[in-house]
Amino acid sequence: MSVTGAPDVRRLLPDVLEVAREHAAETDEDARFPTEALDALRRSGLLGLLVSAEHGGLGGTAREMLEISDRLSRECMSVGMIFAMHCQQVATVVEYAGEELRASLLPRIARGEVYIASVTTEPGKGGHLLTSQSPLAGDGEWLHLDRMAPVVTGGAHADGFLITMLAPDADSPGQVSLVYADRDQLDLEQVGGWNPLGMRATHSVPMKIVGDVPAAQVVGRHGEFREMSTRVFAPLAHLGWATCWLGAAAGALSRTLRMFREPDERKKRDLRSELLLTRLSRIRQRLDTVHALIEHGLVRYTSQAEGADLSAPPVQLLLNAVKLTASEQCLAAVDELVELTGMRHGYLRGSKLALERTLRDLRSASLNYANDRLHQADGALTLMDAEVRFA
Amino acid sequence: MEDQFATLLRPYLRFLPEGEEVRPDARLRDLGLDSMQAIELLFDIEDSYQVTLPDERLNDRTFETADSLWRAVDEERDSGGRS
Ligand SMILES: Cc1cc2nc3c(=O)[nH]c(=O)nc-3n(C[C@H](O)[C@H](O)[C@H](O)COP(=O)(O)OP(=O)(O)OC[C@H]3O[C@@H](n4cnc5c(N)ncnc54)[C@H](O)[C@@H]3O)c2cc1C
Repeated sequence: MSVTGAPDVRRLLPDVLEVAREHAAETDEDARFPTEALDALRRSGLLGLLVSAEHGGLGGTAREMLEISDRLSRECMSVGMIFAMHCQQVATVVEYAGEELRASLLPRIARGEVYIASVTTEPGKGGHLLTSQSPLAGDGEWLHLDRMAPVVTGGAHADGFLITMLAPDADSPGQVSLVYADRDQLDLEQVGGWNPLGMRATHSVPMKIVGDVPAAQVVGRHGEFREMSTRVFAPLAHLGWATCWLGAAAGALSRTLRMFREPDERKKRDLRSELLLTRLSRIRQRLDTVHALIEHGLVRYTSQAEGADLSAPPVQLLLNAVKLTASEQCLAAVDELVELTGMRHGYLRGSKLALERTLRDLRSASLNYANDRLHQADGALTLMDAEVRFA
Repeated sequence: MEDQFATLLRPYLRFLPEGEEVRPDARLRDLGLDSMQAIELLFDIEDSYQVTLPDERLNDRTFETADSLWRAVDEERDSGGRS
């Protein structure tokens, strides 16, 4: 127990970390979902990290969510992402779901019974978060969902789904609603496989999603996803992803440094080599830059509690910079580690440093919500802030 | 909200059905205003009304409805925020 009386969540981690480590290579090889790690997360109570004690959860903070995402990603970035994205969904439910849905769903999450997958991407519109082409139908009592979801992390294993849909009677594609659905409320058809370069253990499959849910399962008001996204969904996505990328790169650096310091290895290379020291320094510099940005972004995110407006362009630009910078610098850092360690330790599959896997995983970072798309938005935001204020 | 302002807004609201007027409570994002167009609209307003909206006004609340945007413009006119 910590001094505040809240359970110390770090204490719950070792078991999960061990399971994640044990299966990391094999789940990558087979491109299969890390069910063992998810089971360990369920047992640990960590799926309910952001659920309040009143609903049976750990009552944890966004900072703790990031700390755990970091630790998990040092072992297996896919597991880290699965956890971070689940927490992002839970935070949105906690903040915006109606009392009825909160009362029924949150205790189940806290008990480890519900792992929530995220469904925002659609064919046709791609990753564009704030529009939808799939209208919700309904009669006031029920909502009818019918949509394609081309990339659903853990879709074959999730117990619940948070799904963006076009609001009933929407006048434009920008009126997006968020709906929660339990797995058994849906007809799910996996319409394809998952055989990517990296992030293979996320098992992010294409699905067809059809079903009916009670009207009370809308999260937030109909058509208001934009507001939820500005305040909670997008900031936690950016902070969560960036932390996973940083964790993956930090894990790679740490494994490399430990190897360099082994007595046998010390004999093999000159640790005073200027090239080696310069490379290590540059790698570390990249990671410290990302870490500082995440810390700063997290402070701005949590300052909402004191009434700060997250929609202000300088804040949005900062939170986007977290994602953009992390996606570039973490990949660059691991690429440089490969250069530093060379063929045997850096490039071969099966090396205990797993740099090759980390590099493949991190290659997804710029695509996971396309950086090009984010730069377009940032360009417009930059024009909005002629004074160039910094958040 | 004056008529001239509604006329200025009209072309930015591509999901407002033809022939329907721009109501003060019209939600601009819902009617098609995205962030790129928000910039163009801003320039258009600044040209037409000879005002400059200060940076701290350029947030989601100002761009929420036709009326919230109009009030920002009107207040800047009154407070002499002329460019
Ligand atoms: C490992 C992984 C897990 C994922 N898990 C999920 C999940 O669980 N749920 C989910 O819904 N989605 C998920 N996604 C999808 C993700 O959120 C993005 O939506 C997706 O990666 C972007 O898809 P896209 O390439 O079709 O992007 P788009 O954003 O449509 O981009 C397509 C191409 O167009 C370019 N482009 C896009 N917009 C612009 C623009 N404005 N200007 C110029 N160029 C542009 C991009 O650079 C890109 O090359 C996942 C993705 C990955 C990689």
